[in-house]
Amino acid sequence: MRVSTEQFTELAGQGVEKARARPSLKMVPHFLYQKREAGLATLPDAAAAQACGAAIRSEALSRLPDLLEEFEKNAIANGAKVFWARTAEEASEYIVKLAKERGAKYVIKGKSMVTEEIGLNGCLSEHGIEPWEGDLGEFIIQMLRCPPFHIIAPAINIAVETIRDLFMARADMKEPTVDPVELGWAARLFLREKFHRAEFGVTGLNMAVAETGTIINLENEGNIRFAKSSPRTQVSVMTLEKVLPTMKDALHVMRLLSRNCSGQKISAYVSMDSGPKKDGEIDGPEELVIVIVDNGRSRIYQDPRAREALRCIRCAACLNICPVYRQIGGYAYGWVYSGPMGQVLMPLLLGLDKTQELYRACTLCGACKSVCPAGIDHPSLMLYYRSLDVSADIPAAHRFGGKKRPWKEALFFKAWSTAVERFWMWNSGISMVRPLMNRGSHRGVIRRMKGAFSGWFRKRDFPAMAKETFHERWEKIRNIW
Amino acid sequence: MKEVSMFIPCTVDLFLPHIGEAMVSLLQRAGANPVYHRGQTCCGQPALNSGYRKEAKKAAKHFIELFGNDEAVVAPSGSCVGMVKHHYPELLGDEPDWFRRAAELAPRVYELSQYLVDVLRVSDVGAIFQGKVAYHESCHVLRGLGVSTQPKALISAVKGTKLVSMDQDDFCCGFGGEFANHHPDISEAMVQDKVRNYLDSGADLLILCEPGCLLNIGGYLSRHHPEKRVMHLASFLAQAGREER
Repeated sequence: MRVSTEQFTELAGQGVEKARARPSLKMVPHFLYQKREAGLATLPDAAAAQACGAAIRSEALSRLPDLLEEFEKNAIANGAKVFWARTAEEASEYIVKLAKERGAKYVIKGKSMVTEEIGLNGCLSEHGIEPWEGDLGEFIIQMLRCPPFHIIAPAINIAVETIRDLFMARADMKEPTVDPVELGWAARLFLREKFHRAEFGVTGLNMAVAETGTIINLENEGNIRFAKSSPRTQVSVMTLEKVLPTMKDALHVMRLLSRNCSGQKISAYVSMDSGPKKDGEIDGPEELVIVIVDNGRSRIYQDPRAREALRCIRCAACLNICPVYRQIGGYAYGWVYSGPMGQVLMPLLLGLDKTQELYRACTLCGACKSVCPAGIDHPSLMLYYRSLDVSADIPAAHRFGGKKRPWKEALFFKAWSTAVERFWMWNSGISMVRPLMNRGSHRGVIRRMKGAFSGWFRKRDFPAMAKETFHERWEKIRNIW
Repeated sequence: MKEVSMFIPCTVDLFLPHIGEAMVSLLQRAGANPVYHRGQTCCGQPALNSGYRKEAKKAAKHFIELFGNDEAVVAPSGSCVGMVKHHYPELLGDEPDWFRRAAELAPRVYELSQYLVDVLRVSDVGAIFQGKVAYHESCHVLRGLGVSTQPKALISAVKGTKLVSMDQDDFCCGFGGEFANHHPDISEAMVQDKVRNYLDSGADLLILCEPGCLLNIGGYLSRHHPEKRVMHLASFLAQAGREER
């Protein structure tokens, strides 16, 4: 998938325009957010449950190397094969090679973000193996060649008429219709055939349990379960941070994931697999291969501060509540992930130099942090990345590659910090700036300003600087009261 | 009389000094004795938010030197209070002596409505205003400090005032300091939504406790809906009080 994180500002502007043209775009995250509220209300103490989720994720990450080894050992004991991939390319190439060796003509896929991240579909197609997405939303965006608009609802922005035309042209639909049930049925008929004849399935996973070697998937459409059980060979792709210590931990994260994601107490399908089909069992894959992808995570793990970003369980609650995401939608973020979770994760995966706008385009409103079931403090992480742009002398700045700030800004803050601890200098600075600032003001209001602050004045006014600051008025005030 | 040290945010000092004056009047009416350290400058938020930690640290140390011995420090801003309460200890975490001073100061710093209601136990300041009022839950007041019931109690106690509900009252208005200037497309869309919700609420007046939101929402109203008003809680309570007298 093409990375366009550096075009954030331009793409965000387009996103705002699109949302203005189709107000329904803003409704979807709000609808999911309301479902979440109702879902959390079914817990006796939602705040405690969320805090427990944060503790589980935090602990799991602090023991990551040990847990991964334990998981590998137990998964192998269950009969699974484990492949460690350092990079996205290594993971994709391994899966392609395996598919070729198994003689697969096509691959059936369950919805997964990690296979988007490693660019698996592109790699399979290049080698003549057709990937078929089994999730309705992914199926639609795959045919449209669009990136996911939302991490759990990838095609939520696509107009139903577009889907109708697409299915008529590409999915053997007989009669044109915009009825969602009919459209769903058409996709189902088309994909059912692919599932039946599947030799090779690829899915992601939500949790890997270290103590049992079990992999767990949550979903609502059944495509993942199908892709995990129907083919002869099944590949489950996971990133390092998916591992959890115990089944008890996994069950708690499951309660939180369903509720925070869609407001459900439990998703329609939950599949737990401990190894491939065993002797005497009637179904399941003959071969289960677990691909564990690093793709930059072990580097993130080295930094105890940045590590927090890896706690994410991909519930998308932060997208749905984010006031910026609601205005611009998912495309502006420029790669696989979007919303606050994308803003804190993608800079670490792609490098700060390519993603600076992502962690600066935030008002630090803290809504994301307030809903996160993994206890991620997104605003603080973004402040941390911003500081790495400025202080190139911190080791972490080398690790993640900060991008230098404009020299004018650096100079401004240098002068600012000199004055901030000397009030006489601060106040004389104010007296000097006042006439410049108020030059174009009228009746105490500034209506336009060119140059560095023009962004503000496109649609907003600003009060003129007061003739007397509070500081200057203080002596008089004291006498009045 | 309880002595309370006023911390005037630089936005208030430079552009909205009437909020500072209103705070003086309110504190006095509530039975406190407000004092003002003339050496105060800025809490350092702009530097921290732009990534300039070293520079923000200087502001933090200056602030702690100045306010460190005060029994109570009060500011008419959630984000500036949050900066001192939450970010100073984090910012100074690698300097044990400064960290201790920051951590000791933190619990003594209050947002204005929080200080009036929780510490002075005053919710009725004796003000009168005939009309409907909506309240904007500023991010750093609500999520940063957990302050929400206090300003609402103060508004509800004003005679003749009806506090009406506003859709998405806890959504960010799109200010975010630098953000508003650097990402005008997104910021304008956010403030437009905020103003739409204000207009739809049927309120005569929008009240808030954060100077940043006031500049943003007020700046948009001034351009597009000059007949509609937004006010800081302190100005509202002080003005409604004066009208009574």
